[in-house]
Amino acid sequence: MSQDFTALAARIAEFIRRSSSHASNEAQVDAESQFAALARDVFTAQFHANPAYQSLCRARHITPADAPHWTNIPAVPTEAFKDFELTCLPVAERTTEFRSSGTTVQRPSRHFHHPESLQLYRASALAGFEQHLLADLDDLFEAQLLGPLDKPAFLALTPPPESAPHSSLVHMLGAVIQVHGAKDSLFAGRVAADGTWELDMDRLLFALRRSMCANRPLVLMGTAFNVVHLLDAFEAGNIRYRLARGSRLMETGGYKGRSRELPRAALHAEVTRRFGLPPAAIVTEYGMSELSSQGYDRVATPVADGSPCPPIFQFPPWTRARVVSPETGLEVADGDRGIVEILDLANLWSVAAIRTSDEAIRRNGRFELLGRVAHAEPRGCSRMTA
Amino acid sequence: MNPLPNLFLADLGPELVLTPKTVREACQTVRRNREAWLTQLRTRQIAEIIGYTAEQWLDPHNGLRLRALAEAPAQIGVSSTTLARGLDHFFRQLTPENLEGLVAQDLGDTRRLDEFTGGPIELRTGRTAIARRPELLGHITAGNLPIPALQSITLGLLLRSAQFIKCASGASLLPRLFAHSLALTEPRIGSCLELAEWPRGASDLEEAFFSEVQCLTATGSDAMLEDVRRRVPLHIRFVGYGHRVSFAYVTSDMLTTYSVKRVIRDLASDVTAWNQLGCLSPHVVYLQDDGVHSPESIAEMLAEELARREIEDPRGDIPVAEAAAIASRRSIYQMRAGSSLDTVEKLKVDTAFRDMPGGVRIWESPGSTAWTVVYDNDPRFEFSCLNRFIYVKPVHQLAEVLRYAEPIRHQVSTVAVAALDHRLTDLARELARWGVARVCPVGRMQEPPLAWRHDGRPTLGDLIQWTDLESP
Repeated sequence: MSQDFTALAARIAEFIRRSSSHASNEAQVDAESQFAALARDVFTAQFHANPAYQSLCRARHITPADAPHWTNIPAVPTEAFKDFELTCLPVAERTTEFRSSGTTVQRPSRHFHHPESLQLYRASALAGFEQHLLADLDDLFEAQLLGPLDKPAFLALTPPPESAPHSSLVHMLGAVIQVHGAKDSLFAGRVAADGTWELDMDRLLFALRRSMCANRPLVLMGTAFNVVHLLDAFEAGNIRYRLARGSRLMETGGYKGRSRELPRAALHAEVTRRFGLPPAAIVTEYGMSELSSQGYDRVATPVADGSPCPPIFQFPPWTRARVVSPETGLEVADGDRGIVEILDLANLWSVAAIRTSDEAIRRNGRFELLGRVAHAEPRGCSRMTA
Repeated sequence: MNPLPNLFLADLGPELVLTPKTVREACQTVRRNREAWLTQLRTRQIAEIIGYTAEQWLDPHNGLRLRALAEAPAQIGVSSTTLARGLDHFFRQLTPENLEGLVAQDLGDTRRLDEFTGGPIELRTGRTAIARRPELLGHITAGNLPIPALQSITLGLLLRSAQFIKCASGASLLPRLFAHSLALTEPRIGSCLELAEWPRGASDLEEAFFSEVQCLTATGSDAMLEDVRRRVPLHIRFVGYGHRVSFAYVTSDMLTTYSVKRVIRDLASDVTAWNQLGCLSPHVVYLQDDGVHSPESIAEMLAEELARREIEDPRGDIPVAEAAAIASRRSIYQMRAGSSLDTVEKLKVDTAFRDMPGGVRIWESPGSTAWTVVYDNDPRFEFSCLNRFIYVKPVHQLAEVLRYAEPIRHQVSTVAVAALDHRLTDLARELARWGVARVCPVGRMQEPPLAWRHDGRPTLGDLIQWTDLESP
């Protein structure tokens, strides 16, 4: 059984590697059928190794014998990650557990990993990040914003991985810094006594000033509420910086009551005002602990100023997002509303097909995020009495 | 359809920007108009005006009714059949006799609002009393279902108070149509009513509103009520109606081959009424498990009945978020239905109910979220996603239900009971001891009588104050 998974992981990693390089039209057609074949094999493996998932599939009358097209593979709602251990990993092999951040009252979603699955997670997360945040590295060398042997400096607004072992976001940022970051990259967040995340302003200001003095581009990364904390601190101190040209920000949505909430457009405008980052330098990432791949709303091109973009997300080729009708489970027509459903090949040891709780509009093969659906809380729905 | 004439602020639509001054002036105007005319009516006269208006609503060709059935269902999220049934049930009860009966029930005598009167006990001690009505009665209505707002307006009219109704955003249509129908019956009544719509949290408008009323009713979530109560001046009577939940209990005596069909039909009526969106709709049906039919087979029969209802009276479209909640919950139960218990952490609780028959089973409408029945042998109370999503759970007896519903004890409104007559009183007594406000037959959960005591309080009695007269 574990050999099946290892072989599959190698095929998926290869697929990620190849789809990350520029491909011809023929190769793209080929990629389509490869994706479909991989999705089917992943489904077969997960069906047999994950009893809870198997019962869902049986209830929907879809088994590996049907060799379903990837769009018909039953998707598990993210909510289910709270009630079930949706994993193909035996208890003894699990070394890492990513959890959804949420209020402490709610039970978190849990996504289990082991060294092999983390390796695939990193391969996927890194490739997506590189494509959207670091695609213009050559331009930076050309513009002499980076020396030929230099790496950009990263500044994560989250706590470091050792302080936040259950955060998939922090794990990803750690991997990014490890692979792409200059030596002086750092995590400027820390975990407060009450478990919440806060900013270490001394370290942060030091890193920002150093990058500005050296005129070196900086890659800022954090959650939306991290960014609001940063903006609030700048507001309080009446500080305004102009970060070095080529600097950029990756923010990822979700406030969960940890700061005042700013609509995305207002947040980005504030970042432009306080840090001098042009709209084309501000990228929103769409990710969750239940996934191993992330969607992005644009490719950062900070040297070109660009204009603000709507929250329309796209996933890399090894992950497919569709907007489906919750009534029928079928993909909605372009321009219609529905729920985001994702098939992430890199989710090999958990469940590849995920039904999110996010409402969106289908936009030409991509999706415009409207936000998390409030599961009718005022009427008492989804409040368990346990 | 033509727009309604502009009688009320809410008729002016979203272009109208309300200011605290507009709100204050509107309050003062309706109060003045009431003073000039409405105060002179006697209970019988106002009851007849309301009764006549209700008759108009029951006429299938009535323009306002047709308009309500054409435009409101999409806003509320129910089919027009459902809405028609709800309106019929409400307006049929609005007869002069029933309205007078409500006064008599809550205040002891139909004349209490008009003159000093006393019951035998009062008269023996030389006392009489008159009920004082608020000059201006304010209402903050909830968005989910329209009938409570119509009921509030009716009660205020019965008291002959001027009324200002603050409707939930996007939910003013039916209250407006009702107010227009009253104005058609008697234009001077229209001049004593005002309706407006503003988003929750417009605190300057609310300050102005609160400073003008003598009594305020509000319907909504506990958080909203708490917020309003804090901001209402102390001398103003505040009556809050929080969100409530309800469930049904069926004894095994009623699940015999003879009566089971009827019980199933009634349960299905409770699940489909208002698409389950009201506080009086059931979240869970508890079935006593020692009958001829297993609770699981009853659940299956209920599913078949809901499938039939879907053909006769389709649920209709619901917002994406609500359909998504149903789809997600279904998947979770499909996973539970086929999993061994130990993979489900949620089930790691006491083993008292492990001997229950079956585990989890789910029946659902194919290709839509129109109806869902989940049979679950975990007897703990569970909130339904509503929109015709019902839990069926087996229990040995009522005491067990109450034990497992303990976490929501303070939130329960109605318990529908199906039991043989001789057992009903005992069961009702047990429910009363536990704190249930209303016990009714299955099939009638969403059809409370006009004079029912909302949340266990005298509905009219809560809005008035008394002046006692002690004879010399």
